[in-house]
Amino acid sequence: MADLNTLMKLDAVEGAFRFTPSGELREHQIAGGSKLDATVLDLLCHVCVANMAIATMQARGWEKVTGMQGFYPINGFSLIGFEWTAVVNQEYGVVVPNAKVDYDRIYAALNG
Amino acid sequence: MSLILNLSKLPGVIAAGEYSYRGDRFSFEGKLTDELARMASIMCRATTMATHMQVDMMKSLGSDCGCAPARGWMVHGEKFSVCVVGNIFCFVDSTTVKLNDLMAQLVAQVPQQEGQLV
Amino acid sequence: MIKQLFALDGVIAVCQFRDDGMLVEGYGAGGDDMLQRLAKFAHDYKRMVQGNADQLSMFTQMNGWTPPGGWLVRGPAVTVCSIANLVCVVDLREISLSTIMAQLKEAASW
Repeated sequence: MADLNTLMKLDAVEGAFRFTPSGELREHQIAGGSKLDATVLDLLCHVCVANMAIATMQARGWEKVTGMQGFYPINGFSLIGFEWTAVVNQEYGVVVPNAKVDYDRIYAALNG
Repeated sequence: MSLILNLSKLPGVIAAGEYSYRGDRFSFEGKLTDELARMASIMCRATTMATHMQVDMMKSLGSDCGCAPARGWMVHGEKFSVCVVGNIFCFVDSTTVKLNDLMAQLVAQVPQQEGQLV
Repeated sequence: MIKQLFALDGVIAVCQFRDDGMLVEGYGAGGDDMLQRLAKFAHDYKRMVQGNADQLSMFTQMNGWTPPGGWLVRGPAVTVCSIANLVCVVDLREISLSTIMAQLKEAASW
């Protein structure tokens, strides 16, 4: 089970956060010197929840039409921005600079 | 060797493809049928359009800290995942793919899209 | 032409946008900057709705979803409605949804 303290200890994490199923920011931690703030994270949470919902629709449709099982349930979504990447599961997420993102380790921590 | 072909040969990559932002064509290499690749390109294009709109909106709302323009996205499923940078998509086996290697190649080799997505 | 829409009670802003998201004509609160943002948002949102409707058609194999005619997002104080390349922000305490949607549909055919 993920928690903010564990997520913040991952390499290069600038911020870790937890959100409600509808996307409101519930709690967060931000590394010293980061440009992130609660407003940015709240908007980011809504973006991620929207995309998790769309991805779930796509997974359901894809599996039904193709019979290719394995997308649903969606375990995570990542947004690769210009400078940083956000990686989330259904409840938690982190923000990491693009140059230092370790997807495997982050997904393992989020879903562990 | 083309980028798509290169990507399709990476460990854990089931298929790699390219779609036009206008939605009028696609191409791919790997273990998908033409029809599945067409569906995959429609899905990937739709999510790419949405993420671009979302980060542009975050930026216009004053929450820019390096998010815009969006470079790509990834959906992580139980057995399969989808990785997209620009207009290039990869369907991958979540259990065998090296996500870091794949994403590093995608980010390094797919040019940043500026302005209108056409 | 869309100035007539702005004259309706409850219409806070109205815009017509091009297929690349640029503002063609607009009236309402907030000035040009706000109208340009509204045009860009409506254009982007239209493309997103189109993409999602395409997928719904693809997965359900059911005709009738695409191309979408418009969209509507209803908030507690204001509502945003769009048909074709027209979008307007309205206060539903002063105008009914049926009225504004009918007016938008008619204006889109001008």
